[in-house]
Amino acid sequence: MAILEIKHVSKFFGGLAAVSDVSFQLEQGMIMGLIGPNGAGKTTLFNCITGYYPPSRGEIMFNGRTINGLHPDVVCKRGMVRTWQKVRPLAKMSVVDNVMVGALCRTNSLKKAREMAMEQVKVVRLEHRADFPAGGLPIGERKKLEVARVLATQPRLLLLDEVMGGLNPSESEEIIQLILDIRKLGITQMVIEHDMKAIMRISDRVVVLCSGEKLAEGAPQEIVNNPEVITAYLGSE
Amino acid sequence: MNRFSIFINRRGASPVALIAFIVIVCLLIAFPVYVGSPYARHIMILLFLSIIMGESWNIVGGYAGQYSVGHAAYFGAGAYGTMIVINASQFDADKLSELQELAKDSRLSSLLLSAHDLPPWSGIIVGMIAALILSLIIGSICFRLRGPYFVLASIAVAEIVRLTVLNLPDLTQGAEGILISTLPPFTIGSTVITTFNSKIPFYYTGLMLVLITILVTWLVQNSKAGYFFQAIREDQDAAHSLGISLTFYKNSALALSAVLTSLAGSFYAIYIKFIDPTTVLSLDLSVQIVLISIIGGIGTIFGPVVGAVVLVPLAEVLRSNLIGESLISSGMVNADSAFGNFLTENLSHAHVLIYGILVVVVILFMPDGVLGFFKALLAKKRKEAA
Repeated sequence: MAILEIKHVSKFFGGLAAVSDVSFQLEQGMIMGLIGPNGAGKTTLFNCITGYYPPSRGEIMFNGRTINGLHPDVVCKRGMVRTWQKVRPLAKMSVVDNVMVGALCRTNSLKKAREMAMEQVKVVRLEHRADFPAGGLPIGERKKLEVARVLATQPRLLLLDEVMGGLNPSESEEIIQLILDIRKLGITQMVIEHDMKAIMRISDRVVVLCSGEKLAEGAPQEIVNNPEVITAYLGSE
Repeated sequence: MNRFSIFINRRGASPVALIAFIVIVCLLIAFPVYVGSPYARHIMILLFLSIIMGESWNIVGGYAGQYSVGHAAYFGAGAYGTMIVINASQFDADKLSELQELAKDSRLSSLLLSAHDLPPWSGIIVGMIAALILSLIIGSICFRLRGPYFVLASIAVAEIVRLTVLNLPDLTQGAEGILISTLPPFTIGSTVITTFNSKIPFYYTGLMLVLITILVTWLVQNSKAGYFFQAIREDQDAAHSLGISLTFYKNSALALSAVLTSLAGSFYAIYIKFIDPTTVLSLDLSVQIVLISIIGGIGTIFGPVVGAVVLVPLAEVLRSNLIGESLISSGMVNADSAFGNFLTENLSHAHVLIYGILVVVVILFMPDGVLGFFKALLAKKRKEAA
């Protein structure tokens, strides 16, 4: 069953179509890669899906129900949550407190939330930093914190916006392992990424956006050999 | 660790801090027994008032990070609610018949007539309800805006409240203000608790309110709402994406803060026995409320306490020109010399200026407030020792 259905979604800013008539589906448990050159509308699409702004046209269905116009907090409670391309740690709060904020979406007890948070902190292997203020973490650990925090909200669908951006190869490798571990938990994921090697390795299916439009969709192998995609990335002869 | 370390490890109070807190509270309870000077008691009451105002603002400004510079509106709501009801309860027969005449075509006069029938001290509750309603209205308007725009909107709305009160003389006596010569005795059932014939009842009322606001702050800090407030302060978009309803939690923080601020206003009104729009509804007061928290350290339980302990005596020393006069009376400076003349003639009139400069210096060099500054210093010392 499709957990997320994007039906003919468009988003206009004034006369500019940041996303135009994009449709695709996500199946339960899969990892969907979302790629495209800079300015293709990937993050705008994320913002529409998670409720930061309503799509100008089209419909977004999550778990078979339309979620157009719902606020991000309601979308999160329904089980869909996103991370940010530019990480947003709650700087003056400790790592475990950051993750607790996510966990408190599901429980009213601070004690329970702390337990749930510690669990997720261990999943991303930040337990040695649990009481460290989030604002003092290096970028690699901030990205992991983002992931732990959204995992604590117990999502069914996770939208990861460039979680590997700005990381060195070994840090990227850790995040890749993390994404694969998360899949084993049965959580569906949609991943925006620029690192082609990584996206081809983890994705079950890839959607390519270019200038707001869907250029191609398919298994990773089909995408790499698609001449249109190659043109979009490298230009034509 | 670094400068952030002061914000963590705050889970549960350390036993030393707890004992120190209890000892200080005991000393404060015993204070009026050993210090008879009305002036000293007066300063302590002002200090308590500042702490109550600072702690109240701290909930919405310090924890939720919404810098409201319009808290005078809630302070005024408490002050006016209390004074209008107490004043109405003391109307004599002439005033009542006059009001009955007016009430035929003025809703406000009939409102005053019904206030006459309320128990005098219920005015405090009237003030709290007024502040609550006001905060929900102001919140629904101002929280559409963020950051500096929110600050400006909060100032504007508080000014609207001031002008409204100024222009409703039937109810509020306008610019003239409300003066009460004798407070009604405070009774529970038929037992008279106090008749307010000295400063002592005010002292203990103030102390009690201080403890209540500290307790409320502690409860907030250790609750789900407290975590959500801080998440909103740190990054509201991130908070929103983590399932936190911004509208609900911002308005809750403001409402709680407003109700506590109205208590400060009621306390001020019954202590001074006179209020008018320029003292209880002015922008000056709003700024003063914000300063207490910022100087002390926002988002901490004891920040506003420290801020009040710094600001109240500072204002008092500068206003009474204590330093200049003690320099002269101790013989260190000749009163007739140019410098002595400067101290008595010029400096004593510049106390607001000096106060302002000192506030700027503190904000520049102690961005986390006085409390944050000393905590960081202590952490540094400990690190060096280790």
